[in-house]
Amino acid sequence: MIKTILIVDDSASMRQVVSIALKGAGYEVIEACDGKDALNKLTGIKIHLILSDINMPVMDGISFVKEVKKLDHYKFTPIIMLTTEMEPEKKQAARDAGAKAWVTKPFQPPVLLGAVAKLVLP
Amino acid sequence: MTSLKNNSDNPFLYGLLTAMPVILGTVVMFWYSGVNVYSVSLSLLLIFCSMGSGLFLWRHHLAELAQTNARWELDESSKINAIATYTTELERLLLTISPILSQQVMFSREHTEQEIISLANRFAAMVNELQQIVDSTDDTLDGQHFHLDSVINTSHDLLQPVLESLTRIYQVEHQAKAELQKLSNHLGGLHAIAAEVHELTEKIDNRHQLVDIELRLNTEVNAVIEVVNKALILPWFDQGFLGETAGDDLTLSQAEDHINQTLAYLGLALNHYREDVDALRNNAEQIRAEINNVLVALQFQDRVSQILTQVENNLLNLQKTIETIQRQGSNRDGNMLQVDAAVEHIEENYKSVNSKSEREPEGSDDLTFF
Repeated sequence: MIKTILIVDDSASMRQVVSIALKGAGYEVIEACDGKDALNKLTGIKIHLILSDINMPVMDGISFVKEVKKLDHYKFTPIIMLTTEMEPEKKQAARDAGAKAWVTKPFQPPVLLGAVAKLVLP
Repeated sequence: MTSLKNNSDNPFLYGLLTAMPVILGTVVMFWYSGVNVYSVSLSLLLIFCSMGSGLFLWRHHLAELAQTNARWELDESSKINAIATYTTELERLLLTISPILSQQVMFSREHTEQEIISLANRFAAMVNELQQIVDSTDDTLDGQHFHLDSVINTSHDLLQPVLESLTRIYQVEHQAKAELQKLSNHLGGLHAIAAEVHELTEKIDNRHQLVDIELRLNTEVNAVIEVVNKALILPWFDQGFLGETAGDDLTLSQAEDHINQTLAYLGLALNHYREDVDALRNNAEQIRAEINNVLVALQFQDRVSQILTQVENNLLNLQKTIETIQRQGSNRDGNMLQVDAAVEHIEENYKSVNSKSEREPEGSDDLTFF
C-alpha cells in the first residue's frame, strides 16, 4: 500500500524539493502552504506522516502541531518538523507540542527519508 | 535672537552705561571743587546729553539688529522651505518607490521560485529517467523475456541439434553412398547370373521353364532395386543430397564453423554489453548523487525567499511609518521616525536570516528524534 505524507511549507520550491525526495522513495504526497491550509486538508483521509515547517504565515508550525494533536483521527500521526530554525527553545516547543523529530534545512534527501522511514505509520 | 533682544530691550540701562563716565566725572568734580548751582546744572546737562547719545546708539543698534534678524529670518526661512520641500519630495519618493520596490521584490521572488520549481522538476525527471534506464537494463538481463544470456543460450540450444543433425546427415550420407556402391556391385553380379541363365536356357532348349526362371530372377532383381530406390535413393533425391560431391562436405563443415563463430561473436557482444550496463549503472548512481546535491542546493531558494520577504516587510513598514508621519502635518517630528529602533529591527532580522544562510551548503544533516 502506498503511504501518504502531508507536507506543510509556505515555500513552493521547498515543497517541491521535499515532494521529489518522497515521491522518489515511493510515497504519495499532499501539499499545504500553511498550518490552516493543512488542517483544511485533514478531512479524514489516511495520512501516514506529516512534515511541517515552523515559520509560516496564517498559522505557524507549532500551532499547527498543537491543533493536529487535538484531532482524534490524527493525534497519533507522527509529525516531523522541517525547518531552518536551530534555536533549542523552538526545538523544545515543538517537542512539547507533540512533534516526533526535527530536521534542519537544507536537508540531504537520504537523511529525511531515513527519518520518514523510521516514523511513518505502518 | 531672543538673547540679543534681552540684552538690548532696556533703553535706560543702555543710556546709563554711556552716561556713566560723565556721572563719575561729575562726582570727582564735586569732590574737588564742591557743589554749586552751575556745576550741578552743567553736570546734569552733560549726563542727559550722554544718556541721549546712548539712547540714540541703542536705537541705531536695535535697528541694525532688526535688519540682521530680518536677513537671517529670510535666509533661514528659505532654507527651511527648501528642507521642507526636500522632505516632502523625499517622502513622496519613498511612498512612490516603496510599493514599486515591493512589487519588484515580489516578482523576483515568485519568478525565482517558479524557476527553482521548474529546475527541481527537470532534475526529478532526470532521476526518474535514469532509474528507468537502470531498471530496463535489469529487465533485459534478468527478466524472462529480454534476457540476453537466455537469448544466446536458447540460440545455442536451438543450433546445437541442428549441428548434430547435420553431422548425422553427413555420416548417413557417407554410409548410404557405401551401401549404394555395394548394391551396385551386387546388381552387377545379378546381371551376370541373369546372362548366364539366359545362355543356359538357350543351351538346354527348355525355353518356357527357363523363361520363367529368368523372369523370376529379373523380378527379384527389380524388386531389390525398387526397395533400394524407395528406402534410400529416392529420399536422398528429395533432400537434394544424392549425387553431391566433396563440395557438399565442405559446405556442411563451413556451416558448422560459421555457427560456432557466430555463437562466439554473440558471447563477445554479451560481454561488451555487460560492461556497458555496469558502466551505465555506475554513471547513473553518480548522476543521481549529483542531482541529490543539486536538490540540496536548491533548498537555499527557501532562504532567498525569506530574505526577500523580509525586504518586502521592511519596505512596507517604512511606507506605513512615513504615511503615519505625513498625517501629522506640520507637527512632524524627527523622533517619530524612530530610526534607531527601525534599523535595529532590520539588522536583527537580517542577522537571523543571514546566519541560516551561512550554513554548510552540503546540508547540515541535523536530525533530532524526540
